[in-house]
Order: sequence, then C-alpha cells, then structure tokens
Amino acid sequence: MRKFIILIFFSQCIYNTVIAQQNTVLKLVHKVGNQPLTLYTEVYKNQWNEPFTVNKFSYYMAHLQIVYDNGKKTYTYHKPYHLVVENDSTTKTLMLQKELKNITAIKFLIGVDSVQNTSGVQTDDLDPMKGMFWTWNTGYIYAKLEGQSDSSKAPAHYFSYHIGGYKYVENAARKIELAVSSNAQNAIEEIIIEADILKWFYGTNEIKIIQEPICHQPGKLALAIADNYKNMFQVTAIK
Amino acid sequence: MKIYKVIFSLLCIVFVGISFINIKKHKPTPLKFIVPKGWPKPLYNFKQNPLTIEGFELGKKLFYDERLSKDSTISCASCHQQFSAFANYDHNFSHGYNNSFTTRNSPALQNLAWQKEFMWDGGVNHLDVQPISPITAKNEMAETLENVIKKIKRDTAYQRMFKAAFGDETINTQRMGKALSQFMLMLVSSNSKYDKVMRGEDTFNLPEKLGYQIFQQKCVSCHTEPFFTDFSFRNIGMPLDATLNDIGRMRITNNNTDSLKFKVPSLRNVNITFPYGHDGRFFALSNLFEHYRKNMQPIATTDVLLKNKMPLSNFQIGQLTAFLYTLTDSSFITNKMFAAPAYTKPIILHQH
Ligand code: HEC
Ligand code: HEC
Repeated sequence: MRKFIILIFFSQCIYNTVIAQQNTVLKLVHKVGNQPLTLYTEVYKNQWNEPFTVNKFSYYMAHLQIVYDNGKKTYTYHKPYHLVVENDSTTKTLMLQKELKNITAIKFLIGVDSVQNTSGVQTDDLDPMKGMFWTWNTGYIYAKLEGQSDSSKAPAHYFSYHIGGYKYVENAARKIELAVSSNAQNAIEEIIIEADILKWFYGTNEIKIIQEPICHQPGKLALAIADNYKNMFQVTAIK
Repeated sequence: MKIYKVIFSLLCIVFVGISFINIKKHKPTPLKFIVPKGWPKPLYNFKQNPLTIEGFELGKKLFYDERLSKDSTISCASCHQQFSAFANYDHNFSHGYNNSFTTRNSPALQNLAWQKEFMWDGGVNHLDVQPISPITAKNEMAETLENVIKKIKRDTAYQRMFKAAFGDETINTQRMGKALSQFMLMLVSSNSKYDKVMRGEDTFNLPEKLGYQIFQQKCVSCHTEPFFTDFSFRNIGMPLDATLNDIGRMRITNNNTDSLKFKVPSLRNVNITFPYGHDGRFFALSNLFEHYRKNMQPIATTDVLLKNKMPLSNFQIGQLTAFLYTLTDSSFITNKMFAAPAYTKPIILHQH
C-alpha cells in the first residue's frame, strides 16, 4: 500500500518533469561498412576480402555522458551499465530523460569497471544471466561479435570474438569520446550514433579471420581487437 | 466532502503504519560468523552479504536442490558431499549432466571465507560467482541461469525464503549467489584432533607427534597452518595428462611460468577426500608419497622446494600418515546444521 501511495506521488512527478518536457532520444545504428547490419543471412566482406555473416553483436555502453550547453553542463544517463544487443531493438534506443541543447561531446566506456568484475554477482544489465560473463575466468565480456566465415578454420567455420579483461595488463575497457558540432539552438530530439562492425578488423591492428577466428579470453588479442573497435562509433545525426 | 478527506488521510496513515510494521517483521536474524581462535581475519566481505539464519537456510536449500541442474538430477551436494568434507567421495571426476564427467577433481568445501581465488587454477575471483560455473557447465549441471531463476521463482517456498532472507520477493542471480555463499561460508572446519591438540584439549600419540615434526620440516612451506595451504599456485612435478591437457594456472594468467601450477589444496579432512590431486590421479595417500619421493617429474616451472624430489623413508611416511589422520574433523562432517534439509526433495519435480 505504501508502495502504491509512493507510486501515485512519483507518477505525478514523472508527469511534471518528463511528459511535459521534450526528451532527447539516443539511437544506436549498427552497420557493416555502408550496409545496414542484418543478422544471419547477409554476407559481408571485411578489408581482407574475407566473407562473413554476423550472428551476434552486443556490447556494454557504460557511464554514458553528454556534454551540453556548449560544454557547461554534463548529463549522465541513469543506467551506469547499458547492454546493447543487436537483436533487441529496445536496447538500441536510449531515452535521455532530459532536454539537451548545444551538445558538444558524447562520452562513454565500452567495458565494465574492475570493481564490478571483482565484487561478486551484479544485477540488471550486468546480471551474468545476460551471457556477457566468463564463468571459468571471472570477468565480464565487454563486447561480442560472432558469426560464420568461409575463411575461418574453427569448427563450423565459426568466428567468435569475446572481448574483456579487467586486470591491469589485460584491461580491455575503452573510453570513447565523440566530439559533436551542432549548431542547433533548439532542444535536440534525436542523436544517432552509428557503430561500424568492419572497424573490428582493422585500424590499429590487422585482425584476419583466417588467422584469428576465436578470441575467448582476456589477453593480447582481446586488447588488439578492443583498440580497433574503439573507433567504430560515429555521430551521424543530431536533430 | 470534508469527511471523506479526513477518512482518506486516516486510512493513509494506517496503511503507512502497517507497511512499517511489515518491514520490521521481515528483518532477518543475524548469524554470527565465528573466527576460530588464532586464525586470521576472513577475506570475504561480510558487509556486502551479512550472514543471517534465513539467508543460510535458503543457501542450504539451494545447495541441496537438484532443480539447479537441467534434468533435475544433480545438486551441488551431488559433487560436494558432507561425509567427504564436501568433496566428491571416491571419485576422481564427478558425474555431471547426461553421463558426462568433470575434468577436475571436486575439492572439499571448507574455510572458504579465507580464500581469495577459487577453483584449482584460481580462475574464479569471488565466492558469490562460483556457483554460476557448475550451473552452466555442460559437463556439470548444464542449465541456464535464466531457467534456474525461472524454476526457483515458481516455487512458493523459495518466494517465502527469498523474502525472509533479503526483505522482498526479488529473486535474481545475485541473491542466489549470496545465499549459496552464506551456506558455504559457514562450512568452517576447525575441530579436528589437531585443533584440539593445538588448543591444549588433547594430545598427539607418538607417531602423530613425530609425523607433525616431519610435516613441519617438509610440508608446511606450502601446506601452511592453520589452513594447511598457503593458497598459492605451485607445480609439484605432476606430468601433463595428454587426454586432459590441463595447464592449470597458466590458463588464467597466460603466463608460461605458471604452466602446470595448481592451487595448493588444504589437507584438512584429507583422509576422507580421496582421490587426490587436481585430476584425482592419486587414489590413496600412499600414491602421493610415492609421487613426492620417486615418481615426480620436475620441469622448469616445478617448485624450487621439489627440484630434487622429496626424500621420505617408509618410517616417515607412516608417521606423516598418522599425523594427516588427525586432520579429520568428525564434528564438521556430521554437523546437522549442514545436512540436507528434510524438505529438500523438490515438491514439483521435472517441471521443465
Ligand atoms: C558435477 C560436479 C559438480 C557440481 C554439480 C558442483 N560442483 Fe563445485 N566443484 C566441482 C569441481 C570438479 C570443482 C573444481 C573445479 C576446478 O577447479 O576447475 C568444484 C569447485 C567448487 C568450488 C571451489 C572450491 C575451491 O576451494 O576452490 C566451490 C566453492 C564449489 N565448487 C561450489 C559449488 C556449488 C555452490 C555448486 C552448486 C551450485 C557446485 N559446486 C556444484 C564439481 C561440482
Ligand atoms: C612445493 C609445495 C608443496 C610441498 C612442499 C608439499 N606439497 Fe602437497 N601439494 C602441493 C600442491 C600444489 C598440490 C596439488 C597438486 C595438483 O593437484 O596439481 C599438493 C597436493 C597434496 C595432496 C593431495 C591433496 C588433495 O586433496 O588433493 C596431499 C595429500 C599432499 N599434497 C601432501 C603433502 C605432504 C604430506 C607434504 C610433505 C611431505 C607435501 N604435500 C608437500 C604442494 C606442496
């Protein structure tokens, strides 16, 4: 009953602050080069001319912050850890519960802080139930890309990149900061960030499926891939 | 009109009052964790998971519940049996889901509050996350966390117990882990004959006393008192079993110098936890002694203490064995507090 009263109270507050005001929405769009990402069926090619399909694509977007009011203010997204999953569209639209103007930067972490990796079972998006967790070598998988490729020598031509690692020399968490230039004076309704899967294979390091079809643990290869994909994001529209 | 307002306000006050009373009633009863005299402070962070009777009972129910496995045939207790100090008695490998086998020997579960890293290779860094590994492993319980939580949520007994232990009905992986930890943390073995001798309540007979002296010279640098392990990872010259290809600690650290290193096991209750070694290749203590003095194959990563093997006479082996027998804690393995709860057999079996 107490909960009920509180609920009424809060719904009033929410109405006042949220409904009456315009929210900014952040949308994540996943691509492979110029093509939109379609799971399972679409065959893409990476820079090394290796054909591949994508069965799974997910990552932790953590500590999302938006610098607005020409750098004067910072908005912090209410969920410290947000799991983005390609085939769950609800995870790709983030309601920012605030009206933002004059955005200059978007910052986030692809990863999970080491405290959460070492202090037992976490909840919500960090629940190990989400499958982004190594059980035999405790720690979160920060980003996952799985699929099949004729170039892969692994069983069933699978390639599978599970990137993570929190220990000092193996820390694969990557800070992302995207500069934004928008002259929109009005409140922004929509921000679109694109993530390009092709970036996993090149950039800082050359990753070829034929050589490295599998990465399932923290270490050198995981770090090399993380250094590539940290450049996969791009702000493509601010409306 | 006014009268309605008054009635409404009064009702509100009454409801708020009732909800407070409810909250009071749900407070679980604290359970004291007793650190045996002379032992160091436990490493487990009890502040994040305060022990309570309700939490412990819930953990025990989970520990003995076969529904945590895919076909409801295997519980934690299938591989961790109380009469074997929660190791798997007489099994080198344990039986998992659908006639599969584990690839390592199931260790005794005792004094876990002092342990920092779990598993033979130390790959698990917190006791609360440990259960996720057997639950989801194909050759152990082969279940998904989603299904386990779903099954638990459907059971009204669990609904009651989670509320009693944690204050509300939320059932999730975190609470399951915490409850299982509460049960496992209480598994303290500190009442063997050895402990009684140390406390001045008993005395060693002659072979035990001589065995203890030899143990001091040859074993304590790794099997350190009071836990009979220093929790380090070491290679004792057990050659790689090519069918298992288990490189031990190196799998976790990716470091060549950790090849074939495994966690030093505690020797508490060692007499009842056979077979021995990370892959259970030693069926009796005598196999181990033969290993230490003769069969060992030292390689680059073998511990410096064992570079030249370990000379042991038959006489010394007899005395060491007598001493190791004093580490059996019969009050631990018969303690009713840790035994299967009477109502454990699932009321709704095979509901998947
Ligand atoms: C099929 C057999 C099996 C089942 C079922 C099983 N375990 Fe284990 N357990 C093992 C084996 C084998 C190991 C050692 C694994 C390793 O080192 O890789 C182990 C290790 C452990 C450890 C680490 C001990 C240490 O000293 O490092 C804990 C704690 C544990 N199990 C608790 C549990 C709990 C809780 C459950 C139920 C959710 C459970 N086990 C179910 C076989 C099993
Ligand atoms: C250099 C460190 C070291 C020394 C010294 C040492 N041990 Fe061990 N012991 C280990 C390690 C490590 C293991 C586990 C090896 C494995 O399974 O890979 C082990 C395993 C054992 C086991 C098997 C326990 C089980 O539950 O599987 C027994 C029993 C044992 N040691 C007894 C002794 C005795 C008795 C001595 C002295 C004579 C001794 N050890 C000296 C490191 C040592």
